[in-house]
Amino acid sequence: MSASPFATILSTLTRQRGVRASLVVDESDGIVIESNLQIGQDGDRVAALAASLYRKARLSAGAARLGTATFMQLEAERGRICAAGHNDLVLVVVADPAANIGMIRVEMIKAAGALP
Amino acid sequence: MADDVRRWSDELARDPASLVFLPLGETLRRQGQLDLALKIAMRGLERHSHNTDAHDLLARIAVDRGELQRAFDEWDMVLRLTPGHLGALKGMAFVRFQQGNAAEAEEYLRQAAEQGGDAEVVAALTNLRSRGTRDAGRGTRDDRSDNHARPAAHVPRPADVPHPAANDPRALFADILGQEEQTALLLDDQGLVLAGIYMGEDGQDVAAEVGAELSGVTDAARRATKHLDIGEWRAIVLETEVAVVTMAPSAGDGLLVVAASKATPLGLVRRVLDRCLDRARQWLEGSQ
Repeated sequence: MSASPFATILSTLTRQRGVRASLVVDESDGIVIESNLQIGQDGDRVAALAASLYRKARLSAGAARLGTATFMQLEAERGRICAAGHNDLVLVVVADPAANIGMIRVEMIKAAGALP
Repeated sequence: MADDVRRWSDELARDPASLVFLPLGETLRRQGQLDLALKIAMRGLERHSHNTDAHDLLARIAVDRGELQRAFDEWDMVLRLTPGHLGALKGMAFVRFQQGNAAEAEEYLRQAAEQGGDAEVVAALTNLRSRGTRDAGRGTRDDRSDNHARPAAHVPRPADVPHPAANDPRALFADILGQEEQTALLLDDQGLVLAGIYMGEDGQDVAAEVGAELSGVTDAARRATKHLDIGEWRAIVLETEVAVVTMAPSAGDGLLVVAASKATPLGLVRRVLDRCLDRARQWLEGSQ
């Protein structure tokens, strides 16, 4: 049985320091296509909320004539949500506040470009 | 100053043809009373339609109101009346730069320099020419087929080119944003603009539209952080093809939005956001 086309991408992201979860999500319905989660992470919930947030940000940026969104990061007291989209797919990462967000961002943008 | 305004107003009431509408309109403009300043200037122009200073005043008021094309047209009239008018050339350069037409801005600055423009004119011209060199490899802005808004307040601004008066809320973040392609908006909990300015491609202030669209993102942010139990949200960074937009909650359930050109380093945008948050907090406390 061959590995999912997203397995390598998600594995690379999850190896980054502080990453709790990485997922490929369908932006339109928030359904998980593939995920790599640490124990305790609810993939379905993360996927739905992150996809909704990214979608809202992408549409708002377009409506505000800011162009196509390429990367979004939400910073909260106890964690970060990062998202990068390509076509109808969104690559989502949930990370600790202390994670190296610069490295995660670079990897995500690179990986998003490789999404079908 | 209040005495002057009263004295000039009285004189204008006695003699509607008096030229005191010029200092009166300028003073009102500086005080941020733009509607009143516009009314005074328009009435003055009705009686002095060939007065260079009157058209110059109207142009300055128009810029403060975010009506860049109108300002340009008035300065164009100034140039027709007084060829080589330095203030008009600098103002037209300012408008064209704000509208994204760097080539025309450079041409007006060049003419201003020829007319004895000061060191800031020369510095702005140098700045523009160096931008042109940097942009040469990737095409000029005018070559672009997209129609995106770009962050404003990115002008190498000659010192006396008009900008919102110091007490105008639209100028709240002006000194923080400097001369880079950055802009900032402070929105209330309804997504309405409290302070700041945002220029669109056509030179119009589109702060209200941009603010309304972006403020909707915060509801999704609150929902996500609540259900994922990661605490209150502190900031959102959104990168697009042309801009970096950062948002953070401000006092009173408001929202601060800072946008910069794509070329601006992310870390710098975050620092600008933090400084604007401090400014917004102080301003909101002062206005209560």
